[in-house]
Parts: sequence; C-alpha cells; structure tokens
Amino acid sequence: MSTHVDPDLLCAYAAGEIDAAHAFSVEAHVVRCPTCQAAVAPLADPARLDRVLAAVEDELDAPRVGAIERVLRGLGVRADLARLLAATPSLSLSWLSSVALALSFSVLAAHHGDGGMLLFLCLAALLPMAGVAVSFARALDPTFEIAVAAPFSSVRLLLLRATAALATTIAMAGLAAVALPGIGWSAVAWAVPSLALTLASLALATYVAPLTAFAIVTAAWLATVLVNATASDDVLAIFGRPAQLVLVALGAGAALVLARRIDRLDVRGDL
Amino acid sequence: MSTPSTVMPSDESLLTAVGAGDRAALRVLYERHAPWLTLRLARRCSDADAVDDALQDTFVAVWRSAGRYHGGGAVGAWLWGIAIRRLIDALRRRPRREFFSGERETLEPSAEEQVLLGVQHGDLGGALERLSPELRAVIQATILDGLTTREASTLLGIPAGTVKTRAMRARMLLRQELA
Repeated sequence: MSTHVDPDLLCAYAAGEIDAAHAFSVEAHVVRCPTCQAAVAPLADPARLDRVLAAVEDELDAPRVGAIERVLRGLGVRADLARLLAATPSLSLSWLSSVALALSFSVLAAHHGDGGMLLFLCLAALLPMAGVAVSFARALDPTFEIAVAAPFSSVRLLLLRATAALATTIAMAGLAAVALPGIGWSAVAWAVPSLALTLASLALATYVAPLTAFAIVTAAWLATVLVNATASDDVLAIFGRPAQLVLVALGAGAALVLARRIDRLDVRGDL
Repeated sequence: MSTPSTVMPSDESLLTAVGAGDRAALRVLYERHAPWLTLRLARRCSDADAVDDALQDTFVAVWRSAGRYHGGGAVGAWLWGIAIRRLIDALRRRPRREFFSGERETLEPSAEEQVLLGVQHGDLGGALERLSPELRAVIQATILDGLTTREASTLLGIPAGTVKTRAMRARMLLRQELA
C-alpha cells in the first residue's frame, strides 16, 4: 500500500467515531503497516497499556502451577494450602508413580499363588504408612524451611499432609486390588492392617524420632508376616479374621496414645 | 512521517529473539503492536476488562509460541489472529453480555428499510453503512477478521445458525446494492 491512513481518520478510528466502511479499510491497512501502527500508538491509553504489560510480565514470572496443585485447587482447596500440600514429597509424581509400579508388580505376583498374594497384601498394608513417613522426611521436602516458617501449625500441616498421603495411597491400593485374581475378602484385607500400622507408627513417633518409629513398625510388621507365613499352614493367616481383630485393637490403642501425646510429635523430622 | 522500521529491528527478528527467551524483545513488540491491537479489539467488544484480558493472554501466548511463527504473512496479521481468538476465549469465560448494543435495533430502521430508503447505487462503503449493525458485525467477524461461524457466534453472543443466516442476508443485500 503506497498511501498511509490520514491522521484525522486514525484519530476518528481511535475515538470510535467512524463509519464501518472506513473502519474496515483502516484496519485492513494498519494490520500490515508499521508506520501507521506507530502513528496509532499515542492514541491508546498509555496507563492501561502499561497495566496490561505489567500483568503479562507477572504471568510470565509466576511459577507454573503443577498438575497436582491444579487438581487440588479444582477440588476447592485454598491456593496457599494447595501449594503446601502439593509440595508434600509423598504427593510428588515420582513417589506416586513408584507406588503405582510397586503395586502393579505385586498384583502380577498375586496371580501366581498365595505367596504372591501375601506379597501384595503385605505391600499394600505398608505403603500408606510409607507415604506418611515420606511426608515427615525433611531431606525430601523442598519446602521444609517454608513449611516451618508458615503461619500454620507445623503439626496441623504434617497431619494434613499425612492424611493426603494416606488417602492417595489407600485409593491407589484400592484400585490395584480390583485387578486381583478373584475379588473377595483378600481385596480389602490390607485396609485394616495399613491403618493400624500407620497409627502405630505415629503413636510411636511421639516417643522416638519419626523415621526410627517408621523403621521399627516396618521391621515388626515384616517379621510378623514372615514368621506367620513359615510357621502356619495358611500363609495368609495374618490377614485372617482373628488377626484383623487384633490389628483393630492395636490401631485403636495407637489412636488413643496419639491423641493424648500429639504435642510430643517431633515435626522437625530427621534424616 | 518517518519510518521507524528501517532503523529498528523488524518484527520478524523480534519474534525470533522472543522465541529465544529475550524479554526486552517482547517489550518492544508489545510497544509496537499493543496500541492498535487494543483499539481494534475494543471495536469488537465493549467490555474493557475482556479486552485487557485478551491483550494480556495474547502476549503471554506470543512469549510461549513465538517459535510457531514461520514467516508466512505479516506479523501484525499473525498477532491479530491470536488476539481475536484470545478475546473469544475471554468472552467465553464471562457471562453473556450484549454486543454492539442491541437496543439500537428498535431505534434504527431495519436493513431492508435502509436499503429501500437509500435507493441510489452506492459504493461498497455506502452499502456497508446501510446494513444494520447486526449484519455489519457478522460481516466484520466472518470476512474482515476471518473467523469461523462458531468463533463469530461466541464473539457476537448469538447462535451459530444466526451467524449463518445473517451472513447470507448481508451478502444478498450487498450484492443487490452493488449490482
């Protein structure tokens, strides 16, 4: 285009006092003419343009919100809480995918006899507690310093994270159980032990360092399962009805201890 | 009027720099194009907040997808293509509002009446002027802005079927007048 838009016409266009036909031709010209684009520049509100540019730069500087944080916000969790929860090590994608992987292998094993089923139940009972344990581990928490300094009770945050970790791990174990051979009692037999173990480890954590408590409970659980599997005819007896009742009692006792000694919980963690 | 484009970096080289993560280049691009983009967007939508949102989203999109510009056509046209679609997205996020104040419909004579009143053969400009604002808006969205029927329907806040019938009626009226 050889001729440029008349300055008066540009002013009229910017002010919105122009008929459609002229507006159309102004637009068709300005879109590809640097000179007229520059001529239009002083006609727009500079304060407004500055505000939008600042908003653009803010958006580019803002950290990208992760997938888990978006899901949490979508569920109606407050933005600040969502950030703290999403930073929970046991909610990170790497942790969740390793849990998924471990569960899938044990489900595969469960298709090859009682030994495999024992592996699945034993693992499914341990994983929720492991999820809680990982949310205690300060070395794994990228926001440890922030969480300690947050205007938020550390115990409350820890329990929130532990609950979130527990819920996700239990949900994953529940999903995995659907793929077990012959869904029956065995598909949920791990649920009571997992809750009992988690509560027992938290109760123990009010006496010793949390990770020590988790290690003790894990060792005790594995030893019980192994001894039971070798000594008894039924390798799955530990998940049978009498054992479940004992575990319910153990869990209830642990819950009581935890409720009374919650302020002794060492939230600083170790490791 | 001086031609700043001869001494300043071209839009294409600015886009390349933006693609490489140059924030200053984005700012230059913004100063160059944001004014006319705002004015043009404002002619499509009376909601200033929606226009600002669209402009913001446009330059965020430019930052993230500058590499997708392959030099086909003017950078201005490429930017406008992003901006008008971001405006449509911004409008989609908001409750329905009127476009080009619908109440004028009752005050002004209908397009058919306008055509009948101004019988003499006119140029395209006169013919466009005699279209009702509703028909003109459809022509603007589908022909000048190159939007699809669905996009135009979101921008104008009317059903897609109405966009089609209005576009057909507008074309028919223009054809009659320019014949």
